[in-house]
Amino acid sequence: MSEESQMDTLAYSSRMLSWAPLGKLLLVIVVLVVNILTRSMVVPIITLAIGLILMAYSTNFKIPLFIGLAIAEGILILVIGAGLISVTGSDSSPVIWETNILWFKIHMTVDSFNTAWNVFLRSIAGITVMISFATSTPIPHLSQALRQLHMPREVCELIVLIYRYGFLLLERMESMWNAAHCRMGFNGFTNKIKTAAAIAVGIFTSSSNLADKAQIALSCRNYQGVFPVYNAPPKVGVKWVVLVIAIGVIIYYIGINTLGVVNMAEIFFGKDVVG
Amino acid sequence: MSDYIFETEDLTYKYNSRQEKPSLDNVSIRVKRGVRTAILGANGAGKSTLFYHFNGIFKPGSGTVKYNGSPLDYDRDALTELRKNISVVVQNPDEQIFSATVEEDIAFGPMNCGMERPDVERAIQDSLFKVNMEEYRYRPTIQLSYGQRKRIAFAGALAIRPDVLILDEPTAGLDPQMSQDVIELVDEMVEAGTTVIISTHDVDLAYAWAEEIHVLRHGKLVFSGAPEDFFADLEQVFLTGLTVPHTYSVNFMTQSIKGEPLAPYPRTNSQILCKMRNDGATVGHIRLIPVREGSDMAEEEGAVGIYGSGARRLFASKERVADYHFNAIECCLMEAINGRPSTLYCDEHMMPFVKGRIASLDGFGSHVEVVE
Repeated sequence: MSEESQMDTLAYSSRMLSWAPLGKLLLVIVVLVVNILTRSMVVPIITLAIGLILMAYSTNFKIPLFIGLAIAEGILILVIGAGLISVTGSDSSPVIWETNILWFKIHMTVDSFNTAWNVFLRSIAGITVMISFATSTPIPHLSQALRQLHMPREVCELIVLIYRYGFLLLERMESMWNAAHCRMGFNGFTNKIKTAAAIAVGIFTSSSNLADKAQIALSCRNYQGVFPVYNAPPKVGVKWVVLVIAIGVIIYYIGINTLGVVNMAEIFFGKDVVG
Repeated sequence: MSDYIFETEDLTYKYNSRQEKPSLDNVSIRVKRGVRTAILGANGAGKSTLFYHFNGIFKPGSGTVKYNGSPLDYDRDALTELRKNISVVVQNPDEQIFSATVEEDIAFGPMNCGMERPDVERAIQDSLFKVNMEEYRYRPTIQLSYGQRKRIAFAGALAIRPDVLILDEPTAGLDPQMSQDVIELVDEMVEAGTTVIISTHDVDLAYAWAEEIHVLRHGKLVFSGAPEDFFADLEQVFLTGLTVPHTYSVNFMTQSIKGEPLAPYPRTNSQILCKMRNDGATVGHIRLIPVREGSDMAEEEGAVGIYGSGARRLFASKERVADYHFNAIECCLMEAINGRPSTLYCDEHMMPFVKGRIASLDGFGSHVEVVE
């Protein structure tokens, strides 16, 4: 099975598959928005916990290697970004650590250190929550959720078609890529660029051919302009709305009442250094 | 009602005005109702283009297309009605499967035709049963192998319960067992009253299966009639980019060596063997066991074959493996010709067809007895 379809497989085998997709979408949006509305460090920690719990429930942490690597890469980038934020503090606030590199003076302050942690935790929390959604909601279910939000019908149909044909084109690209390898198309830098360009052109041509043929096949199957759905996923109900609002309000309330409770600078460098 | 399910008169079609030679050039063809029909031709001969005229996807540049004796009406509602009766299975299943899961894809056609939900449910169950893919009902379509996708495309076409089933290269890309499976399924459809038309350049398949063939060459119809008559004209065969079927060649060579007439023309290996024996004797027997709802295993002798979806289901429910799971009629006939008894579990509605196949050996000089 190709790497691209592993995510889809994961979604279809998720224990959260039967949850209302719109409910899951609303939950994710609310949690993410509240995550950035408050400055308390506790909120991203709670969001991270929610994300991890949902991910664990949805996938049992059986995450395909390539998704795991993508997450690891994301975390690495965040660590670097947060590291940079932490050393770009202003010397007007209490300095934890400072040094000179060439003609740059670097300050790590209490504020910059805490901000870096805040950004890092918020981002990681956001990623886990979104992955829990992505690994439990196949694209056609997402399209259903968008229909319930009264998105234009054409957009929803396009999402399903792109989803369907995206995989086919990726498969085609993989075959062309392997064939190019067999014909030594990737020997040397210039050759590599030329081959990649030729494959891109080939995929573009294939996509228009595929579209032509799909149009005929759709007509053969009496397509009337709408993709009918036989087994629609459950619709979002009052329970979902109440639950989502309640979670949002609780996290926000916790956020405004825990401002400054968690001070990363204090945890890492002690009260004496922070002052 | 007309004897012909499809008729075209001087049908000409160009994909665009700049095209010098038309893709279909004055094609006048008549497809008989209920007759196993194959459209033969090399790649680019116009087979698929012709099919898409049958269900109104393409509108003729000139000439007419008739369905059931009436010219096609290209009004949207009329086309919807027409396509409720005519199912097309295209060559590449990826062009035909649109939905994310098997169940959704099979429901696609019936729901577009406005079937009620209970009918759609029945159609899904029936067609999955026929293609032996029941356990895949909730699987995402992208997780299926090529052969499985081909079966699902087939099931999607069966789900609307068409009067006419048009199959474009039905066995292309399939392994030999699955090809046999498809042909068995097609035979079941024919016996159930569906007119099946296949397009192919597999001459062996067309020769063994079709009662009537139509041959296209560069968009022109060059032959309509019995397969033997076409393959007798070697020049025409090679001009159309085809070859002579293996069975036809063997018969041609053996009869030429013996200095005997070519007719009757055997279409299968068992018929060739009987023709070689040609002693008028009863060579053996086949025990036929009809399978219907609630059937159980019966007394058997010799090797056991199964034929039809009901027989397959019976064996699957008993967790039994038949000696002949594919091409079972032919295998049992070979056993009989070799003087060994065999047993064939066969769906009840397929019994006349199977008996016909067994009786056909009489015409080639040997008799196989049927024991029921």
